[in-house]
Amino acid sequence: MPSDAVMDTTSFPFSAVLGMDDAKKAIMCALVNPKIKCVLIKGRSGVAKSTIARSVRGICEKSIVNVPLNVANEQLFGGMDIESALKTGSPALKKGILGRADGNLIYFDDVNLADDTLTMSLLDSILCGRVIIEREGISSSYSVDAALIATMNPEEKEMSDHIMDRFDICANSSGEERKDEVLRRNMSYSDDPSLFCQSYSEEEEEIKNKIKRAKRILPTVRISDDLIQIIVELCGKIGAAGHRGDISVANTAMTLAALNDRDEVIKKDVEEAAILCLSHRRNYSPPPPPPEEDEKEEEEQDQEEEKEDEKEQNDDKNEPEEDWDEPEKDDKQDEPPPNMEGMLDEMLFEIGEQFKVIDFLGQGDKKRIKKTKSRMGRRETVESCDSTGRYSGYRMPRERVSDVALDATIREAATHQRSREKGSMAINIEESDLREKVRERRSGCTIMFVVDASGSIGVRKRMVAVKGAILSMLRESYVKRDRVGMMAFRRSSTEVILPPTKSVEYSHRKLEELPTGGKTPLGNALTEAGCYMATYSKHHPGESCYVVLLTDGRANVPMESGSDAISEAQEIAEKIKIHGVKWIVIDVASGFKRFNHAKELAMKLEGTYFRLDDLNAENLSAGVKALIS
Amino acid sequence: MSSENFVYPFTKIVGQEKMKKALLLNVVDPTIGGVLIKGEKGTAKSTAVRSLAQILPMRENVSNCVFRCDLSRPDTYCPYCSEKAAKGVALEPINTEIRVVELPLSATEDRVAGTLDIEHILKTGEKKFEPGILAQANGNLLYVDEVNLLDDHLVDLLLDSAAMGRNYVEREGVSFSHPSRFILVGTMNPEEGDLRPQLLDRFGLSVDVKGEKDAKFRAEVVKRRLKFDEDPAAYIKANEEEAKEMTRRITDAKLLFKKIETDDDAIDMVVGITTHFGVDGHRADITMMKAAKANAALDGRNEIDKDDIREVADLVLSHRIRRRPFESSVIDAGELEECLRTL
Repeated sequence: MPSDAVMDTTSFPFSAVLGMDDAKKAIMCALVNPKIKCVLIKGRSGVAKSTIARSVRGICEKSIVNVPLNVANEQLFGGMDIESALKTGSPALKKGILGRADGNLIYFDDVNLADDTLTMSLLDSILCGRVIIEREGISSSYSVDAALIATMNPEEKEMSDHIMDRFDICANSSGEERKDEVLRRNMSYSDDPSLFCQSYSEEEEEIKNKIKRAKRILPTVRISDDLIQIIVELCGKIGAAGHRGDISVANTAMTLAALNDRDEVIKKDVEEAAILCLSHRRNYSPPPPPPEEDEKEEEEQDQEEEKEDEKEQNDDKNEPEEDWDEPEKDDKQDEPPPNMEGMLDEMLFEIGEQFKVIDFLGQGDKKRIKKTKSRMGRRETVESCDSTGRYSGYRMPRERVSDVALDATIREAATHQRSREKGSMAINIEESDLREKVRERRSGCTIMFVVDASGSIGVRKRMVAVKGAILSMLRESYVKRDRVGMMAFRRSSTEVILPPTKSVEYSHRKLEELPTGGKTPLGNALTEAGCYMATYSKHHPGESCYVVLLTDGRANVPMESGSDAISEAQEIAEKIKIHGVKWIVIDVASGFKRFNHAKELAMKLEGTYFRLDDLNAENLSAGVKALIS
Repeated sequence: MSSENFVYPFTKIVGQEKMKKALLLNVVDPTIGGVLIKGEKGTAKSTAVRSLAQILPMRENVSNCVFRCDLSRPDTYCPYCSEKAAKGVALEPINTEIRVVELPLSATEDRVAGTLDIEHILKTGEKKFEPGILAQANGNLLYVDEVNLLDDHLVDLLLDSAAMGRNYVEREGVSFSHPSRFILVGTMNPEEGDLRPQLLDRFGLSVDVKGEKDAKFRAEVVKRRLKFDEDPAAYIKANEEEAKEMTRRITDAKLLFKKIETDDDAIDMVVGITTHFGVDGHRADITMMKAAKANAALDGRNEIDKDDIREVADLVLSHRIRRRPFESSVIDAGELEECLRTL
């Protein structure tokens, strides 16, 4: 196999990697104990996750089978053997990558970016030691005895708890402090790989021997009932669901004892094992506690888990809290009398970044955002209508075939070859054999903010709040890489401030510069937004589009002179129906004399209605975001 | 003949020194990890990348190999070459030009990664791998224009290859792997969207380009371009000697660079800078050291000094400093200077 042919110098020696103690322990455990099957190495970019995973080559005799990210299902698990089908005319199983992996190690880089179902099936196959195939005339299974070493960088995408739990061990790595030594070793490695590898050959041999010894000791290792009790209690305390956590900790603790030449598990083994096996099984959301406590708890978790540097960051993030109240005080002092509207025209309000409640959502709660993200993952893929996107499967063609799934077509044709006339070709393909590709592409959604930038909003300094609201949603989309656009209406027209873009940095700048003042052409805004989004959604099939309308529902510039602006807007709202576009109306009106204009508007648009005043952290996340997912 | 068939000479690009430097450093040491060029339209981004081809030196690889395996690295051979080597067949060296291979945004997955050879299977009934763009890119420069608009699944392919230097194909009935080591060059207009963090981190260097503001410069840009368009062939010919000189400089630097020692002072300086700017992981340190070495080599020196590190620091750091969602990432020159002074 090609991956086996690669010799040692392409990977950095295991023993030359500084730090990464947890990852090293995890890998050695998997090499010693066949019950530890799935190991995940998690950490930010450039902390040597992949380096350590690939260095396993040097410390074990097993070969390493690589799973590329773009792997197709049948290639991983197995499918019909085309060549044999062509020769014999009957379908036979061809094992996939997992077949090759039997008795070996599987390496999966960036596992979190792979398709969830694929990852799940892979983990299940490894855990139960058997691959089951039911596809295209093949009904078969074969055994696979392999350990998986996977890496992930949580910055891009989190995995669901469900998948995470399948990993026996999740080693967190946060980079080595002795940066100079790391650099020195790397430079001498790149100067002369073989010389460098040679200089570590003794250390590598030592680790190999350590693993061999531990394998011999492992069957004799015993664990006391007291320690088992401790494990069970520990798992209960951190809220790990199911029994996988307990079993993993016990297995790992026993393996660690063996690695330390002991046949008796001691408390230290259990502690180390718990760190390896439980960090990813922690249940972050017990019955929803009040926000403040929630935050405290999370800080604690961060401290434990991600050590010093994480904590520092949290501290940084908390700094702006002290400033929160200031702008609000300013607001009251500066509150202008209502008749100063003209003077306030063109006024640029600074973004209400300090707007307390909403800001809280953006910064305070890392864990909750992560949670949402993994749930969001579901809407990320849609079937692609053209020939772009990942080839995820095939089907009987619906119309004329333009995107032939060649492999599937040939497989289909293969079994019929004996009875067909072939001429000089090896295969005769008939039209009934044709299969077309099903492609899918990851897609986010597009959120178009339509903002009332008229003077009436500006005068009450509502603009600060409005901007704050948009900002917190922008933050959320930064995490998910959605497209965000913005339109503003004031005076007599509606302007596209920002066409939908993925650049949040840019949209933030545009938001900062958003001018306010003038009258309120609500009807015009609805029409413009409607037209824009209709064209947009036509050009972006499969993309879910949302228009978030921030308005108080009042209007004073009619489209047709002489008619009542407010009722005209309501009429337009009733007529607008765009396929694939949903409306969300956020009522920015404040104070007691609130009218129900915005609410009515939402009803007529068949959209969802919120009041800006209600948009605090809790129900913004529960509300708008739940809608969009 | 239209001027489109000719590429404007690299050595005649006015200004944009940072961008040119970043590209050249990568040519000297391809393990630096490529360069991401960010900037508005019309700032000679694409011109610079495409024209780089003219000044790239030759390299030695296995003859008669579609993947142009590196003769000196038997551990990275493609399956065909390793089979030959295992049988004891001597592999012949051949000198080929380093090319600029483009990855168009509209490329399909099978064209990028490689796929099943249709003709072969229809004629013989046996499967064979047909190489794709990642195979062509091996040993060359892979250029992705508008890299931020690249579809996610293509980005995944790039990530895999860029990380491992090898393209693993496990699709459509083919199971194959071949070397795919390339200098990744991406250009993007940041207004159209951000780059996925994982891909961003794979780029060794990044550079922000802006249009030249100075009227004198701008006039020079226009003058040269007009002259080029008038008679591209003649313009290139007139510039031939300069291009050759540049190629010589690169070839020399590639040899010299291997001799440069990594001394402790330089290590302390590099680590001091990345620590000061709070960069995660070790990739920044390694890249900065390699880039500084390449910079010294380009200058014809065989040791690194402070200036080398100063020159490459922002190329390495600007896309790596941790920022909150809405902060733009710019390395403050004053801060860097201050940091260097204290080291």
